[in-house]
Amino acid sequence: MAVLAAAALLIGSAEACEIATGVAPRGRVETAGIVVVFTTLPPVIEVGRHFVVDIRVCAEGTAPVLTRLDADMPEHRHGMNYRPALTAKGEGRWLAEGLLFHMLGRWRLLFDVEHGGRRTRLATDVVLE
Amino acid sequence: MRRLTALVVLVVLAFATLPASATGPLGLEDAEIKRLLQHGPWVDTVPGDPSNAVSGNPAAIARGHRLFFDPRLSATGTIACATCHVPERGWADGRPRALGLAPGDRNTPTILDVARHRWFSWDGRADSLWSQSLKPIIDPREMGASAEHVLKLLRGDAGLACLHAKAFGAPPGGEPERALVQASKATAAFLETMRSGRTPFDDFRDALARGDVAAAARYPVAARRGAQLFVKSQCSVCHFGPAFTNGEFHDVGVPNALGQGRVDAGRSDGIKKLRADPFNLLGPWSDDRTGTAAVKTRHVEATHASFGQFKTPSLRNLAHTAPYMHDGRYATLREAVRHYSDLDMERIHTHGEQLLRPLKLSPSEIDDLVAFLESLTDPVAARAPIAPAGVEGCPAS
Repeated sequence: MAVLAAAALLIGSAEACEIATGVAPRGRVETAGIVVVFTTLPPVIEVGRHFVVDIRVCAEGTAPVLTRLDADMPEHRHGMNYRPALTAKGEGRWLAEGLLFHMLGRWRLLFDVEHGGRRTRLATDVVLE
Repeated sequence: MRRLTALVVLVVLAFATLPASATGPLGLEDAEIKRLLQHGPWVDTVPGDPSNAVSGNPAAIARGHRLFFDPRLSATGTIACATCHVPERGWADGRPRALGLAPGDRNTPTILDVARHRWFSWDGRADSLWSQSLKPIIDPREMGASAEHVLKLLRGDAGLACLHAKAFGAPPGGEPERALVQASKATAAFLETMRSGRTPFDDFRDALARGDVAAAARYPVAARRGAQLFVKSQCSVCHFGPAFTNGEFHDVGVPNALGQGRVDAGRSDGIKKLRADPFNLLGPWSDDRTGTAAVKTRHVEATHASFGQFKTPSLRNLAHTAPYMHDGRYATLREAVRHYSDLDMERIHTHGEQLLRPLKLSPSEIDDLVAFLESLTDPVAARAPIAPAGVEGCPAS
């Protein structure tokens, strides 16, 4: 029993944050003790093609909650024309569906996470050339 | 609302990187060649439409072809689809704004390559080709007909009724709304066959792709300079890919006042109409049981920026489809290029596209861009289609 509890703690911790056992993340972003790892389906994002983001959020202590995933193009000052839907899959994992990047250039994936009474935005660049 | 407490930006993904801008063949930089290659290859196939069970069905295509040219489809018996989508005019009508039973507010778009679109109409009010095909039939300003009228036409014409039965497995009948949807799906099946062919640009692009400098050099020099300007000026960001469109909506500073206090709200109005449309892909008339085709409809979002946005048109076959812009305000390609050269930033809404800046082109640069745009035209696209082969057992009319 003690061994199982320790294993569960490790899976949820920031150091061992994985989307699933053995699945290499496409991206990882970390701040304030919160780690977001993710991959996309399809693996290569193409202009004008809908894609899905498979996300795992990890943090020490209480379970973090992903409240929103969005994307924008800072240089163009616009976002997507689509609002992704988040589905909680349990154990810190979420699936975001309905994303579409409609231009080449630098996009940011924006993850809003609530943890320990605070909301934190983590951002990571995705460059489509 | 709690403040966001941290913002961390890390570059973790770069799916490709631009090569160094070394000069390659014909004075083109590597980065320019990379961009130009993204506008191809142009293939003469499109996937079927999962929301339309008769997509690709020969009997439906034959029926759709026949209906397309049949003015009896309109309430007055005077307006066919082909009245506004004239083959010899690049499948548009050559008018600034459409004229059906009454004048419209927008330019008639070509139907060439329409099966490649994600959204239909200048404001994207339709999410499928069959749903878009339905709208002019019942629009009072276009054909002004009704579902009952369509059912009566289908039942009263032996040839159409026969093709209908072959396509849908039963003669036209039942509720009129079903007949209207089926007529639209057959029309869409025909429209999917409206594909344009190769252009001088495609020959140039493919020659670059295979490193055939001699073949690429046959592309006119002015068009080549125009192609360089096109990618350098970031036109290809929105006019992206083989179809030269990203399929989305932008505010490019074209005035949207319609006079008498009316304003064309563009995409924001289109999204409202899409959501209220009983024939959208979330409704019962879609044949896609997987829900995949409706992902765009489920997730599309109206924002402040949607107001005054219009769909990025394909640039293919432009030489056949004057006049230009959503309201047909420019009679020539030269005028359309000047719009971007002298772009009035005051006309672009606060939430508008920040990518746009006046290009400030010289007269010779305008000539070059026009030469490039003209080279995106399939010279034989503006002609009537060969009628589909007859369907066995169905009379000609």
